[in-house]
Amino acid sequence: MLMKQRAEGKPDAMHIPFTHLQALLLFALIISLAFGTLGRRKPVERIKYAAWSFCLFVIVGVAIGWLMYPFSH
Amino acid sequence: MKEPAIEQPQIAEPAPATPPPSQPDDKESREFLALLIGVAGWAVPGLGHALQKMWGRALAVFLAVGALVILGAGMRGNLFSSRGEDAFATLGYFADLGSGAFYLVARILETAGPDVSHSAGDYGTRFLATAGVLNLLSALHAYEAARGRKA
Repeated sequence: MLMKQRAEGKPDAMHIPFTHLQALLLFALIISLAFGTLGRRKPVERIKYAAWSFCLFVIVGVAIGWLMYPFSH
Repeated sequence: MKEPAIEQPQIAEPAPATPPPSQPDDKESREFLALLIGVAGWAVPGLGHALQKMWGRALAVFLAVGALVILGAGMRGNLFSSRGEDAFATLGYFADLGSGAFYLVARILETAGPDVSHSAGDYGTRFLATAGVLNLLSALHAYEAARGRKA
């Protein structure tokens, strides 16, 4: 039944439409929080590490996006 | 004639400076326990840390992996199966499988199948793969912590 639903495309199936930037921010936020919690022990250090990795994710992601921009035109 | 009893000098044993080395059996059982914790951490995200009473890390891993899987499935990302056509599909399958029980959750959630014709679906594929790799990383972290490494 599940396979049949997949083949037909269930109309009320979950669908989350994100823009590029929203997907990037959400991804960076979730991974940064996990990295901060796993990588450091003290709460202050966790917050600093999570904030730092979040900024790096976003900056590097946007930079790579702009680097690829000329190839799309 | 009775000989006088020779008193043996009683020398107090010096206290050992370092604790005695652990027995080989203890080490083996600890290794086995660490392995079990690692496998538990893979099967259920966060369980490896929860078994060691690292509640914050357990909750963070569970929520992070769960959120990535739900969002990835909601964005209709490609959840690879064991019948991959090429090496990349097989690698993708192993990455997806890394999320343990959440792999089945993603299968249940994604009733409409993948749709990578839009960017959201492509991002969803990355979300699902990242969930698996993040869970593998956290299971390895729990395993190392159980072995007594600094974590």
